[in-house]
Formats: sequence, C-alpha cells, structure tokens
Amino acid sequence: MKRPVRSLSGMVGIAILAALVLVAVFAPLISPGDPLAITARPLLPPLADWAHPLGTDRLGRDLVAGLVHGARTSLAVGLAAAVASLMIGSIIGTLAGFLGGWTDEALMRVTDAFQTVPGFLLALAFVSVAGPSLPVIVLAIALSAWTGPARVARAEVLSLRERDFVASARVIGMHPLEIAFREILPNALPPVLALSSVIVAAAILTEAALSFLGLGDPNRVTWGGMIAEGRAVLRSAPYLSIIPGIALVLAVLGVYLAGEATVERAARRVGHA
Amino acid sequence: MPIIANRRQLLMGSAMLLASTALPNIARAQEPTKGGRLVVAADSEPRNLNPAIVASNGVFFISSKVIEPLAESSYEGKDGLEPRLATSWEGSEDGKTVSFKLREGVTWHDGKPFTAKDVAFSALQVWKPLQNLGRVVFKDLEAVDTPDEHTAIFRFAKPTPFQLIRNALPALTSVVPAHLYEGTDIEANPANNKPVGTGPFTFAEHKPGEFYRLARNENYWDKSKPLLDEIIYRVLPDRAAAAGALEAEEIQLAAFSAVPLADLTRIGKEDGITVITKGYEALTYQLVVEINHRRKELADLKVRQAIAHAIDKKFVVDTIFLGYAAPATGPVPANDKQFYTTDVPAYAFDTAKANALLDEAGYPKGANGTRFALKLLPAPYFNETKQFGDYLRQALAKIGIDAQIVNNDAAAHQKAVYTDHDFDLAVAPPVFRGDPAISTTILVQSGLPDGVPFSNQGGYKNERLDALIAEAAGTLDEAKRVALYHDFQKQVVEDLPLINVADWGFTSVARTSVKNLANNPRWAVSGWADTWLEQ
Repeated sequence: MKRPVRSLSGMVGIAILAALVLVAVFAPLISPGDPLAITARPLLPPLADWAHPLGTDRLGRDLVAGLVHGARTSLAVGLAAAVASLMIGSIIGTLAGFLGGWTDEALMRVTDAFQTVPGFLLALAFVSVAGPSLPVIVLAIALSAWTGPARVARAEVLSLRERDFVASARVIGMHPLEIAFREILPNALPPVLALSSVIVAAAILTEAALSFLGLGDPNRVTWGGMIAEGRAVLRSAPYLSIIPGIALVLAVLGVYLAGEATVERAARRVGHA
Repeated sequence: MPIIANRRQLLMGSAMLLASTALPNIARAQEPTKGGRLVVAADSEPRNLNPAIVASNGVFFISSKVIEPLAESSYEGKDGLEPRLATSWEGSEDGKTVSFKLREGVTWHDGKPFTAKDVAFSALQVWKPLQNLGRVVFKDLEAVDTPDEHTAIFRFAKPTPFQLIRNALPALTSVVPAHLYEGTDIEANPANNKPVGTGPFTFAEHKPGEFYRLARNENYWDKSKPLLDEIIYRVLPDRAAAAGALEAEEIQLAAFSAVPLADLTRIGKEDGITVITKGYEALTYQLVVEINHRRKELADLKVRQAIAHAIDKKFVVDTIFLGYAAPATGPVPANDKQFYTTDVPAYAFDTAKANALLDEAGYPKGANGTRFALKLLPAPYFNETKQFGDYLRQALAKIGIDAQIVNNDAAAHQKAVYTDHDFDLAVAPPVFRGDPAISTTILVQSGLPDGVPFSNQGGYKNERLDALIAEAAGTLDEAKRVALYHDFQKQVVEDLPLINVADWGFTSVARTSVKNLANNPRWAVSGWADTWLEQ
C-alpha cells in the first residue's frame, strides 16, 4: 500500500543523486578552467549577468564554477570516506566476530574507545594535527565513521559463523582467515552496506563543517569553504552563503533518500524470496 | 573614506572631520559632560596585560588606559608627541644621554608616589631585557641616573639617535610601578594580569570570557579628567556580533575593524552610528609578501620582480580592502611624515612583462602552462591576509607559477615561517611603528636567530643593505638619518627582499554619542582621559 509513496521519495533521491554525479563528472565541461580564478567584478548579484548566472563572490570568483567543482569535492570525499570506513569496519568486525575470545574483546574495546569520542571532534583534531589536505580529510572522517560498520559486521558474523556452510568449510580444511573473508564476510556485507548512505551523507556534512572552520583543502573549492567566506558579507550578500548551503542540503538529502530506497528494495526482495 | 595616503589628504581629512564635528557645536554649544559608562567591544583577552613587556595593540587597547607611557602621539605636538609621564625630553649632542623631566604630583593607583625610580626600573629591568620591541631600541641602554625624584637620565653605551628614542616613546615606554615588581619574577608577577598604573582609569575587574571593567581614577594627575565613570570591554570574539551589538546599542564603540569591512557601508548609513578611519595613523599595518630566498627560483631577482609585476595593487586595495587601504610603494608607508620617500622604483601591474622576466630568468612554461610550483602560507591573523593569499595564488597562476596554499593556525604559521622556514612565499602583516629602526629594518636585515617573529627569516642576505641599516642605527644627525632611510627604501624596493603590497589602518565604528574620538594618531591604544559621552 505504501509502495508508491516510498518509491516517490526514492525517485526524488535518485534523481538528485544522478544530477549531482553528472555535474561532478562533467564539471570541467560545465565550467572549464580553475574554479578559483577571478573572472568578473566582485559581488555580482545572481541573475544580473548571464555569464555568471549565480553571481560572484568577494574576489570575483564565479559561484556556478564553485558549486560545480565543489560537488566534485563533496562527492569524492563522501564516497572515499564511506569506502574507507566500510572497509576498516567490516574487516575489524569480521575478525572480532569470527575469532571471538580475547581478540573480540580487544577489538571491541578499541571500537568502544572510538565511539566514545565525538566523531567530529576526532576529525577536527586529526586534521589540525596532520594538516588539511584531501587524503587526510578522508582518513579523518573514516576514522570516526568505521565503528558503526564494525559493530554491524560483528553481529552478522556471530550469527553466521554457527551455520552449516561454515562448519563444512572447516571440515574441508580451509584456513580460518579464508573462511572469515571468503565465506562469511560476503554474506555479512548487505546489512553493512545498508549503512553506506548514512555514512556518505554524514561524511559530506563533516567535510563541509571542516572546510567551514578553515580546515578544508585551501586549494580546492568546497561548499563549506564557500559558506564560510560568505559569512563575512552575510548582511549585504546573503546569496554567497545560501546558494552553497542549498546545494549541501540537496546533496545530503539526495544521498540519504536514494540510499533508503535501495535498502528498502533489497529488504523487500529478501522478504519475497 | 579611504585611508589617508599623504599629507595633503591628511589635512583635508582633518579639516573635514573638524567641519563635521563643528557643525552641531555651533547649533548647540556642547560642553563635555562628566560621567557615564562606555561599553566597548574587545575581540581577545590577552594572557599578559602588561604593556611594558608585551608592546602589542591587543594589550594596549585595554591597558593603555591604566598604564601610561612617557609621551603619547599627537597630531599637533612638536615632533608628533605630547607629554604624559614626562613633561620634557632632551637628547645630548653625542647621542649618549637622553634626559627626561618627569611629571610631579603623580600617584600610582595604590597611592604610592610616582618617581624617577619607577622609570629607571621599567627601563632597565623591563623594556630592555623583556619587551618585544624594547630589546631592539634600548639594547645599548647602560644606566638610568636619577639625580632627583623627577629627573631620569638615560645613558647609552653607543650613540643612539634621539629621533629613534622620541619615536619610540608612545609605544615602548609604558612605566610600571617599581615597588610592585622589584625583587619579583617580573614575567610572572600577578600585576601583569591586574595592572596598576598612573593612568586615567584603574583596573577594576576581569570576568574571563565576559568583560573587563576599568573605573575612573579619582586621583588622576590631570584634575579635570577623566570624563567617563567607567569603561567596560565586552568580550565579543565573533566579528559579526560586534556590528549587531552596536545596532542594538549594547556597545557604543567597536575599534580595530571589529566590524568587517564589507559591513561598513551598510552600518555607516544607520542613524546614530559613524564610521571613523582616523586615529590609527601611527599603527599602520603593511601587507607584505615574504620570500624564502633559500628557494633557487626566488633567489633570482628577475623572478621576484616578475612576482611584483604580477600583483595588481589597485585590485587588492579596492576589492580586498574595499578602499580602506593605500597601495604601498616600499617598506615605509606613505602616511609617515618623517621617513617616507616616493623616490623608489615602481613595479606596475603588467602580466606580460612578468611573463617575459620569467622567460628571461630561464624558467619557461611547461606543457601544462606552469613554470614551477611554490608553497604559499597566508598569515591567518586577518581576513584580509587570507583573502590576499587567495588572490596571490590566482595572480601567480597567470604568470605560470603554481602556488599551493597551506593554511595553518596562528601558532603553526609562526613556527612554519619564522622557525622552520618551511615556506616559499608567505603573506605577513607587519606594523610600521613610526621609525624604521623599531620594527621595519628587522624584516630585511640578516644574521638574526631563527624563531624571531616578524623578522627576516627568508634567508635574505645583502651586505650593502646590512651596512646601511647599521649606519642609520648609529647616525645622530636627523637629516642624515632620514636620508639614509630614503636610501634604505630605494634599495629594498630595488632588490625586493620582500614585496610591499598595501598599507592599511583600522576603522572604528561608534555611536555618535561618543565624543572626542580619534583625536590622536594612536587613539584606540591611548588613555581616553578626554573621551566623553553625550547624555
């Protein structure tokens, strides 16, 4: 009964996400050249000049170029951070769940330790020590996001390791690590992957917040950085903060809705099977 | 109104200001009224409030009302000075002694009398060994004689120009009470956080994160002053908050550009609020590109010239400073009346010429259009230094230099540039303090130890320039000394150990009820004894 509504929000999410990916992929075609280049009069309002439909910032940099190239940074950081945290999380969770005993205890206490530190603070501290650059930012976000996947993976592995196919793998003499990563992990992955949309959305927000605080990569355009720069002229040129802010909201919403839709579809398929 | 760029504009500016304040005076003769509380925005809470140790504007902003110097800057006074704790000063022919007549009938806030002993103690125990600027200016100070309670005679081991000592009086000679500091660890003395002075206001209380309160000094030596009952510094670290607080009449004054430049036009139109650019002439900040001469490309004069030609100073002044600055010609700002010269080479904005110079220097553009890459570190202290960093990266891209910006917080930036020398180009905001020998020659002089902030840490060494700096430091004849500094400016601009881009002062935004604003060239960091509030 609820299906049409659900798929509508899913459709919207997928449409936003697809548009975002298209924009990010074709950024160099949509606005060629360095997006940070000074191309026009400073503080040109939106819709005043069709060469710069969304106007320019305090130094005369085109807002469209910033948005388009900023989408690249946001998506790249979001995806890379999600991939990194899912990898770290599922490996640690599988090891903990499969090996049990002391290893499990030790790994889960480490996970606890990471979970007790607020994720954003951890990322903030890590970036301010290691210096802001894209790989460092990705790592910093992954560092605070791997604990969720680790716990989910461990729970799945705990229920899977007593199944018959694991027992038969043992009987035919497979190495325990081979069993863990070739037999159990692939079966434990789907619920872990369901976390990915949440992680991507959170990573995009964290990256924006870091850039807003001046801890982004200064040689790249980022939406968070654009919002922060617009703040100084918030009263006279609010569009400089509002436009990248809207982009950020749409991106996070799109990723989340699309993720939700795929998870539900997967769940329904399992239910029908 | 743009910052005052030369003498004629200065006169015009003051005439305009006179006219604008004179008009209401005619309509309704205004006598200064006593009393009232002035609430001011403060953007930081300095760890040490002793201006005799930390001679910086952040400290002066609060403590200059409590602790006084020997003399203060003045628009009209002889040599640009007017008396405070000293009533007269005189230098000897040989440049080895300077005598001060001290004011009589002055008492410290704790009731003890102020005498020559306090001056001798401050000079020998605080300014010379401990103060960031005094270490340079008073390095040859040997002794301070006190023949009577109101005379202090400074004795120097080497001839020291009287002109330099005079120019140093407002910022470097804050007198602290000997009876509180003597025999203690001066840098850890509790009076550094609860200063005791002779000034028009006493230090009443500090609530960290909230406010400072200064109260009227009932026993001030100028019996008719101060006019205000108290001054409150409200701690407002967020710059956007200062503008809002002014509009809501929660504060009456935001100095040191606490209101962002981009907001000035808007807020200047509000009723009851004025924007003032005067009162900062003796605190000119300089926007400078620091160069690491250890990089082989940057050791080549042609490359440095190319960078100078690539910078559009007009764009920087108009867009980054929104007109509240002046293009710089060299290491002395144009608003300095004693030392400034226009007789220096000029580097017009000319990208084609810059590209030609780089080709000549042997750095052709590669396949991707770049010649070489550089690491650029903009100082994080001001919005404007950071924005200029963004601009410089673009300007350099146009001449084929790929500048990669590295952002750091204040501590990490100082370490990277001044201690580790881990930079190729840096953007710095040094201050010109009325005499090139105070804090300007140190920017290009060689042989300084690592880690001295705002000094030549770019590995630049020019023996001719070093010799010139040393000669000027010991030249007593004022005309000759000025001529040497003219030569200094010319040589610096010719050889470009660093590139001066713009000079800027600050702005104050105040409610119109605050009177006697900006009446000296260091107004924001002076005593405010004659400031009053229209009730």
